Amino acid sequence: MIYFVHKEYKNTLTGGSALIEAATKQDSLQLSYGDVARSSEQRLRELSMSRRPTVRYVYPHIPLELFLAHGITPSLAWPDPSVQGGFEGSLQTFACSLARNLFSQRSTGGFSSLSGILFPCNTCDSLLNVADVWRHRFPEDKLFRLTYPAARFDDDSVRFLAEELKILSESLKDAFGRPFSKDELAAAVALVNRFRESAQILYACRIINPNTVSYFELARMVREFLTSPNADTVEPISGSAAAVLKKLEQEGQVGTVKSLKEELLSGTLSSTKIAVESKIPRIMVVGGMTEPLAIASLFKDSGKLSDEVIVLDLLSYGFKTVFTPPVNLEGDPFVAMSRSILNAPSEPTQEGLPRRLEFIKLLLSKLSINILVVCEQSFCDPDQFETPPILKIASEAGVPSLRLPIDPELSDRTRLEGRIQSFLETFGGSPR
Amino acid sequence: MSGERAYRALNTQSLLQQVILRYMLDGQAASKRGRLAWVTSGFPVEIPVAMGITASYPEQYGAVIGSEKVGPALCGFAEDLGYSEELCSYARSSIGSTSKPGESPMGGLPKPQALLACNNICGTVLRWYDAISQMTGAPVFLLDTPPVQGEQQPHHIAYVRRGIERLVTFLSSTFGVSLEEQRLREVATYATQAIDLWTKSLEACKNKPSPLNCADRFLAMAPIVSLRGTAPAVQFYQALYEEVRGRVSQGIGAIRDEKIRLLWDNIPPWFDIFKFFNGLAKRGVVFPADTYTHAWSGSIEGEDLFHNVAALYSNVYLNRGLQAKVDKIVELIKDYDLDGFVMFSVRSCKRYSVGQLVSKERVTEQTGVPGVVIEGDMVDSRLFNEAQIQTRIDALLEMFQ
Repeated sequence: MIYFVHKEYKNTLTGGSALIEAATKQDSLQLSYGDVARSSEQRLRELSMSRRPTVRYVYPHIPLELFLAHGITPSLAWPDPSVQGGFEGSLQTFACSLARNLFSQRSTGGFSSLSGILFPCNTCDSLLNVADVWRHRFPEDKLFRLTYPAARFDDDSVRFLAEELKILSESLKDAFGRPFSKDELAAAVALVNRFRESAQILYACRIINPNTVSYFELARMVREFLTSPNADTVEPISGSAAAVLKKLEQEGQVGTVKSLKEELLSGTLSSTKIAVESKIPRIMVVGGMTEPLAIASLFKDSGKLSDEVIVLDLLSYGFKTVFTPPVNLEGDPFVAMSRSILNAPSEPTQEGLPRRLEFIKLLLSKLSINILVVCEQSFCDPDQFETPPILKIASEAGVPSLRLPIDPELSDRTRLEGRIQSFLETFGGSPR
Repeated sequence: MSGERAYRALNTQSLLQQVILRYMLDGQAASKRGRLAWVTSGFPVEIPVAMGITASYPEQYGAVIGSEKVGPALCGFAEDLGYSEELCSYARSSIGSTSKPGESPMGGLPKPQALLACNNICGTVLRWYDAISQMTGAPVFLLDTPPVQGEQQPHHIAYVRRGIERLVTFLSSTFGVSLEEQRLREVATYATQAIDLWTKSLEACKNKPSPLNCADRFLAMAPIVSLRGTAPAVQFYQALYEEVRGRVSQGIGAIRDEKIRLLWDNIPPWFDIFKFFNGLAKRGVVFPADTYTHAWSGSIEGEDLFHNVAALYSNVYLNRGLQAKVDKIVELIKDYDLDGFVMFSVRSCKRYSVGQLVSKERVTEQTGVPGVVIEGDMVDSRLFNEAQIQTRIDALLEMFQ
């Protein structure tokens, strides 16, 4: 059994902010969410100058490796908090707020670097239909779809998705004249694995000591990679993880963190138990396609609070993407990619609510989480159905919870910050 | 004309009431015997029925909740449990009713022993049934039928077919029953006969005047949803078709003075169904066709029943793309010689509704007939602004003057 007792995070493990600076070589704490969003846009503009096509994707669980193996850059279509309207002639106000945001970006001149866009199918009804509306409104866009199985993970669903990946692969080849390359696949798998390994190490370290790297910074590095997965964007997160591991090695704790990482990947946590005596709250944030940076910035900007209180997220663009298992290059690559995607932490768009609830319960108890924040994207059926049972299990576990109705524009930002602040004050976890 | 109603009631309504009463009693008895499953409207019910499992339909019960005008109260109970008011009102009212059956029409749906969801009508059904499972302890079975884009691919059929095989295993282990092919064929025959009669009744509305209006069809569709694969459903649709044929042969319309023929797209506002459609009937407006009641069609009969189930239930109206929906509406407008269309944008139902603004443009482009989009809800009358809707309908009707 692994057992940690931390009186003050800063005295343990990593040594705090000096390490962050060493690892990232920039003071990201000065950056705002908007700065990062603008940086992503800049990165995309640079990409568009190259001859390599860029396909934006809406749902985070895609085979990054497949796109890279076709010589195509997959780039996550992030919500833009600054976008204003533009969907009204095409979508009703009850379409999910993320879909409206993406549509608005496109209809107001965003997505300038777009060579194509990939929509998911069989995940939620809004995105399913928005893809059709998109095709109609923007016929010049190359629109791809990837149909996921909603049923539980088994050989049938793996086979189904593998076939869908083959169809997607053919479509990419036809659209861009770039055939699938096994050599490029091997390189892509190495690149993506390097990113995931690094991000997983940082996630595991933050659970033990959230000062290892700020949540904002981790979310920023993940975002940079998912915006443009290449050697340049993997370097910062890989360097950060290497620096952390070096420090851990000196303290003889590398094995501990790696063991926690493996348990998070397998979803078991059978040998992990974290006990914390610090007065600083330990918050876990759960939700769907909510931008982790938006959450980090809400905490950063909530008065004297820091995003240090967030020790773990279970968000689609965060933990659930990062903890996708690697693609095994032996055998059929499409089956291997399918298996990798379907083995990622389960989403509310899929069958398996009881298992998801069990996992959250496990995390609450094993990781000494003492506050649960549940993000609920406006007009998002999967989020909104999952929220009540999550709140219920938190209550049964004696963990206070805070429900945050949210949209990509953070249109209710002041109120959200106020809710976070007053909740934490009620909880007694006042800022240091 | 004075003293006469603008709308003619169907004689078969009394038979419908008997059939539905029997369905409800059967459901209660099956629940007591431990043989009741709640089933989504697009589920291949032929299989559980052939295995001796009785089905109850929460969506149909949602229609009852709506027409009894208790939607806001029951949805409110679900909201008290933490379910957002932005969610489907069928789901919310079902969760609310399960939470407080004593405050629900007829004491709520009888308690299920299993929950059978097929996501060919929407993704919500899985999450809705998960919520009911948390409340009742009944296990959920998902028959996953991914949406079909273009032609259904062999791997798609194979995947759904495997789901059907798993369904049989699930029902066998949950209820201790088995599936006999001969019995499945009998059930399939009943389903085909009922659907054939229903389709003929719908197609009779191509006549002028139309023998059925929207409200007639929305009520008469109940057995095709809830008793598909049984003899009583066949008997009911035989009687309905006889009456419809009689009306056609005598030139009797569903409304007394048919002037304008429109198409209705989407689920109706159950709480306002008579007032809404009869109000328009007084102005000479009839709805000979709609997309909702036309959704139950096709047969699973043939050599390979499981293959046919996989193909039929994957290709239902709501499981195909926007263009397929547009094509269907255009076909109905042409075949039924309609003057225009009304799209009810149901806030609860994203699968049906998101995209209607584009569909409206396309349909008008392809048919030349005008249409209007009105927004509201099917069960939660708090989301229905009658004055606003009336204004939009008036604007449409002015185009025909």
